[in-house]
Amino acid sequence: MTDAQPSDIRAIELYDNSAQNFVEAECWHGIVDKNLADWEAEWMPELQRRLKLLNQKNIERRFWPQSRHWDWRAKLKDIEKRLANQSFALICNGMTQAMMTVDTTKRARIEGQQTQHLIYVDYIEAAPWNRGDIASDPPLYRGCGTELILAALELSILEGFKGRLGLHSLPQANRFYLNRCGMTDLGQDRTYENLRYFEMTPEQAQLFIGKGKGA
Amino acid sequence: MTFEITKDWRRELILEEDGFDISAGLTAADPIFDSAVVVEGNDDDGLLALGRFINLMRRERGLSIPDLAEAADIDIGELLSIEKETSHVPEPRTVYMLAEVFNVSKRKLMGLSGLMHPKDVTYVEDAVRFAAQSESIEKLNSLEQEALNGFITVLSDNAKK
Repeated sequence: MTDAQPSDIRAIELYDNSAQNFVEAECWHGIVDKNLADWEAEWMPELQRRLKLLNQKNIERRFWPQSRHWDWRAKLKDIEKRLANQSFALICNGMTQAMMTVDTTKRARIEGQQTQHLIYVDYIEAAPWNRGDIASDPPLYRGCGTELILAALELSILEGFKGRLGLHSLPQANRFYLNRCGMTDLGQDRTYENLRYFEMTPEQAQLFIGKGKGA
Repeated sequence: MTFEITKDWRRELILEEDGFDISAGLTAADPIFDSAVVVEGNDDDGLLALGRFINLMRRERGLSIPDLAEAADIDIGELLSIEKETSHVPEPRTVYMLAEVFNVSKRKLMGLSGLMHPKDVTYVEDAVRFAAQSESIEKLNSLEQEALNGFITVLSDNAKK
């Protein structure tokens, strides 16, 4: 899982908020050592800097980024020998901008589709500088969530799951999955830290990728 | 690409993402959920024991509630609820962080809080017994210290089953 090279690299775009234009980026199929090194050497210090800012501003902890204790090295180590798990990373300007791990063994929960497989997003997170919620600085790049969800959608279609996706959103991200991705909110999951569970049906997947909107 | 998406539509989606967080996944640190079933907390005895244990450990270390909240990186309000409200089911991450600060088994503390179904319930019963033995007074007396020692023993990773 952390080999020197990802299994596939695809050209994508992200939006540079400061330059106000689209820039070239890459979607890597497979989180590799470079991504974990970026996480340790760049994400973590920046996250600490922003946490310090939040603390100085006396912002309550419940508004701090809820993923601040995530250990991506541990997550990757946990899944490195499981064929059912895959990972993705977004790279722009030589730096890892977001990461995601998925599980291909889960099934849908939406009524009437419970026997259908889906791609379950175990973890997804953008680099601290790409989040607009935890510091006064605007996000550096826009589009990390969109591109990773598109990568998960593509995998879902490749696996024959017709675009079905599922995930447990952190509270601060509920709006993104409900409003921007158009996923169905199945409510709080009391077996999963009371996080809200969201699912994307094949029909919602089609809407997300633009079919049905005349795009 | 297994599906067609126009460049314009893709760009539109990207532009609409402005200001949204995207994080998804369990917030508590990773390994503790591997082999235990996470359940809705509903064990009042265990919660009572948990609250008492946290209270004793905090006082033994001379920490105020804000001090401990700071050390464990948890909300003051939740810490207060754990100590004072026997029906309060804490967040898994809170229990995880408290276990780390007090150097006791995360898995056992999760079991005590009712957030997991422990395979071995003996330690929960023991913890409840120690909670029952301790009296709520300003400073730790020898009885409380004894109860606290018992707590630590049964909640440590290498406790006898």
